Amino acid sequence: MRSYRCYFITTAALLCLLPATLCAQEFSTIRRTVNAPPKPSGTTPRTPDGHPDLTGVWNGLGDNLLGVPNQIANDGVSIDSENSSHDIATGTQIATFPRNTTRGLNNEQGERAASLLRRVGSNRPIYKPQYWDMVKEFDQSANEEDPSNNCMPAGIPRAGIPSYIGQYPNSFIFIYPGQGGLIATQTMYRMIPADGRKHTPLEELDGTYTGEGIAHWEGDTLVVDTWGFNSSTWFDQIGGYFHSENMRVIERFHRDGNTLTWTATVEDPDVLLEPWTTTPRVALLNPKPDAVLPESLPCSERDLTHTVTKEHH
Amino acid sequence: MRRFGSVVSVALLTGLLFAGAASAHHSVQSQFDIHKTVTVSGTVAKIEWINPHSYLTLNVKDAGGNVQKWAFELGGAGALRRAGMSRADRGGLKPGDEVTATALAARDGSNSGFLQELKMPDGRTFKFTTDPNGN
Repeated sequence: MRSYRCYFITTAALLCLLPATLCAQEFSTIRRTVNAPPKPSGTTPRTPDGHPDLTGVWNGLGDNLLGVPNQIANDGVSIDSENSSHDIATGTQIATFPRNTTRGLNNEQGERAASLLRRVGSNRPIYKPQYWDMVKEFDQSANEEDPSNNCMPAGIPRAGIPSYIGQYPNSFIFIYPGQGGLIATQTMYRMIPADGRKHTPLEELDGTYTGEGIAHWEGDTLVVDTWGFNSSTWFDQIGGYFHSENMRVIERFHRDGNTLTWTATVEDPDVLLEPWTTTPRVALLNPKPDAVLPESLPCSERDLTHTVTKEHH
Repeated sequence: MRRFGSVVSVALLTGLLFAGAASAHHSVQSQFDIHKTVTVSGTVAKIEWINPHSYLTLNVKDAGGNVQKWAFELGGAGALRRAGMSRADRGGLKPGDEVTATALAARDGSNSGFLQELKMPDGRTFKFTTDPNGN
C-alpha cells in the first residue's frame, strides 16, 4: 500500500458531507460542514478512584454512528470548507469537487468524487507486497467483498468510537449501534474488564468479531488492548483492509471535557509491514445530560444482490 | 396530516431523505439508473423502517391483473420516524393505502426502485429529489 503514498493528490469531492450533517440531525442539533474535531468545553468528570469518567452517550455529532465525516478522517483527510480539503499528515492541499447546493440528487460525478476523496488520505496501512493486489481487489469489488456491508458486525476497530460507554470500577461496557450509512452493520457490544487481568493466550481463544479486550489506565488515557479476533472484518471504513486472526488492536480513549479522542493502532505482522494508527477521531458527548441511546434499527440488507457494478463508494 | 401541511416540513423530509440516500452503503448508481424513472400505482403492503435503507413495498397489478410486489428503497429510517412517517395517525403510510410511486429504475430490471416521488391517498405528493439542502 506504500504506492498509495505516491498518488498525486488532486481529485475529489465532498458531497457526502452535507448529507452527513443532515443525517446527524437525527442525534444532534449541531450542523457540521467540515470535519474539524469539535473543541472541548466543560470539565472532565472523575470517578471516586480518580480516573476520568468516560461514562456517557457519545453521539453528540452523530459521526460515530453514521460514520461521516469522521469516517473520512481515519486516513487523514481534513475537510476544511465547501471546496477545500487537505491531507493532515503532509499538509497537501486537495482540490475538492465543489459542493453545489443546488445540485440534484444522485449526481454521479458527486458520488464518484466522494469515493475518491475517501481514498486520498496518506495515512494508510502498509501491507506486505504480496497482499497489495488483494487489498486493491477487495476495495474495487467492495460491493461483493466487504464483509461488514450486509448487516454483519463491523468489528474492531472499524466500528470506531462506541456510542455509549458505561464505566465501572473494574470494567467497561461499550455499545456500538448498527450502522446504515457507508456500511450496513449490526449492533455490537463489548464488556471489557479493567481489573488487572492478563490476556488469555491467543491460541486458547476462539476468534470473534470483538476479540478479547482488556483495559488499563495510562495516566488519564484509557487503553484497551484487544486480540483474539476472527478474520471476518476489515479494519478501516474503506480500502479493503483485511487482517489475519493474529491482529492486535490497541485503542486509546482520552476525555477532555465533553469530547472523547480515540485512536486505534492495528498490529498484524502476518499481513502488515508495520503497525498502523488511525488519524485521531473525536466524539462529542450528547449535549442532553439525560440523553439515552435510542433503539438501534434492525438491519436487513437487500440491495447487494441487485447491484450491477462492483464499486462501493 | 397536519405535520406535512407546510412546505418546511416537506423540505426537511426531502433533505433527510437525501441524506440517507447519499450516505448509502453502496453507490446509488450501482443499483439504480439515475437517468430513468418508473411510475407504478398500487396498494401499500408493508413499510419497514430499517437499516441500511427503509423500504416501502407495494402490491401492484400488472397488465394481466396479477399482483406483483414492488420494493421501493427510501432513505434514513430514523429521520423518517422523526418526521412522523412511521405512524399513520401522524400522516404516515399504512398498509392498504393506495399510492403512486415514481422511482429511479433498478438497473437489473427487477421490480424495485429508489423512491423519488410519492402520491398519497389524500392527494399529498412528496418529492424526494430536489437539492441536497431540501430547498
